[in-house]
Amino acid sequence: MDINTSVVRIDDSVPYSEDMFKNAEKEMTEITSRSLKKAGLNQNVLFTKLSDISKITTKGIRSWGREQSVWPLQFGLACCAMELMAFGSPRIDAERKGYLLFRATPRQCDVMIVAGWVTKSIAPRVKRLYEQMSEPRYVIAFGECATSGGPWYESYNIMQGIDQILPVDVYAIGCPPRPENLFAALIKLQKKIKGDINGDSERNASENIRRAEI
Amino acid sequence: MMATMRINIGPIHPSTHGVLRFVADVDGDTIKRTETHVGFLHRGVEKLIENRMYMQSPSFMEKMDYIAPLSWDDLYVNTIEKAMGVNVKETAKYARVILLEFQRVASHLLWLGTFCNDLGQMFTSFMWSFRERDRIIKLLQDVSGGRMFYVNIRITGLNRKLPDDFKDRAYSLADYIEERILAYPDVLDSNPIFMERTKGIGVISKDNAIKYGVSGPVLRASGVGYDVRKANPYYIYEKVKFNVPTETAGDAYARYRIRYYEMLESIKIIRQALDAMPEDNDVVGMPIRLIYPQPNPTPIMNNAELPRGEGIIYMVPDKTRPYRIYLRSGTYTNIAILDKITENIKYADFFAIMGSLDLVASDIDK
Repeated sequence: MDINTSVVRIDDSVPYSEDMFKNAEKEMTEITSRSLKKAGLNQNVLFTKLSDISKITTKGIRSWGREQSVWPLQFGLACCAMELMAFGSPRIDAERKGYLLFRATPRQCDVMIVAGWVTKSIAPRVKRLYEQMSEPRYVIAFGECATSGGPWYESYNIMQGIDQILPVDVYAIGCPPRPENLFAALIKLQKKIKGDINGDSERNASENIRRAEI
Repeated sequence: MMATMRINIGPIHPSTHGVLRFVADVDGDTIKRTETHVGFLHRGVEKLIENRMYMQSPSFMEKMDYIAPLSWDDLYVNTIEKAMGVNVKETAKYARVILLEFQRVASHLLWLGTFCNDLGQMFTSFMWSFRERDRIIKLLQDVSGGRMFYVNIRITGLNRKLPDDFKDRAYSLADYIEERILAYPDVLDSNPIFMERTKGIGVISKDNAIKYGVSGPVLRASGVGYDVRKANPYYIYEKVKFNVPTETAGDAYARYRIRYYEMLESIKIIRQALDAMPEDNDVVGMPIRLIYPQPNPTPIMNNAELPRGEGIIYMVPDKTRPYRIYLRSGTYTNIAILDKITENIKYADFFAIMGSLDLVASDIDK
């Protein structure tokens, strides 16, 4: 398969949804009630508590866990990658907030930081990296070039913003943005994951619209 | 005889220092030959410059080699100065040399950190070198206003006056960096793994170095003592005393030694320039809005010793903008020899060799 021409499409028939977790919750309660019957215990007391706990866990713990361990993809395109490196360097020290687990493979990452200008030849690769990440996945457009094309607005080979091919969650502005700015962007992303800014459903909807446009 | 397998390295790979793609034919653990693919960061910078007025372009030039932005910026503005036939202010010459040499040290420090990361020496050298680099960046930021892209060079001078305490800070920074750098061999040269992985790896012979036209530290590591600062001195480089370190081995270790000694030589230059720098702080160049160059119609060529090799600008000037500009970067010629020196090597050595060439994808692709 030629990497230049083909782009792997995501299988839309298996979407990520809340229903999956609802089914899991049902199954879980059924199994526990069955085992409680076998043991001859009073079901009602435990049963109500379990349902309460599962209500909290399905939404709360999931988003809390995601929010607290944001793993970025180790992936730099151009100059902004230098500030990405400075982000992990002693003065800024991103590790204290749990961000520094930069993974070199997209399959174990949560957030893709697009740092640098995206040429027409690298754009399919960036898109493929994004598609290889497991859901839920987030994108930060880091710097002017990834946001809007930046200084290359007249160039014949540069995409005018990464949001032409990927759904962007947070834009970090600057040429390049300071490492502190990336910190701010990641804190904003954490808020978003927690649900303070935008819900998952809203984001998925916008993602589907964008994908349809491509 | 096993069949060779063809694998892709890159374009997105944690060790390719940007976006480079290599196709390697491997037989077991041995690379038989590699093919280099460049151009993933091509943005047509020469064409863009031809469509801008002269002083709109320095920010493009800074993105050529984003690890040492000031060096291309300075080379470009100096080319315009030569085309216009104006002289740089005396104090500004000193100030530029000090800033350029600090930039060179910062660039080599970043190279050292990432190179040791590539060798698997995770994070000790990276943390050390970034600690020093951040101090330099803080000084350059206070001089120019930008953390990474300075756009600080103006025609005949700099963008703004130097801070009042510039000299004191520069002196103490040079002392600090020298003290720290002198501690590096303790973790590198006395580390058997570092030595095993760099000594005798990726040898470039003197003949090949000249034949392929490599430049900068890579050339000097192969025994050719060519440095533009000595061969064709610009600014105050003929007034200061410094050595051009050369090695004859031509391997990855020699390239590390060259860059290491260059940092010490740069600090020497910085100290001498600070000693001799006039006190008047008269460094501010022409305001941009006053520049309507009436350059010579003859083509002009200018070169300078950038941290990654010799940078050359060939420019055909016109009244308001360059009619034609051609940029030749050291990394573009350095990467040409990679196919040659990665024949019949172990796969793990490939990244040591590539790292030792100090490639920057943006500088190669323009």
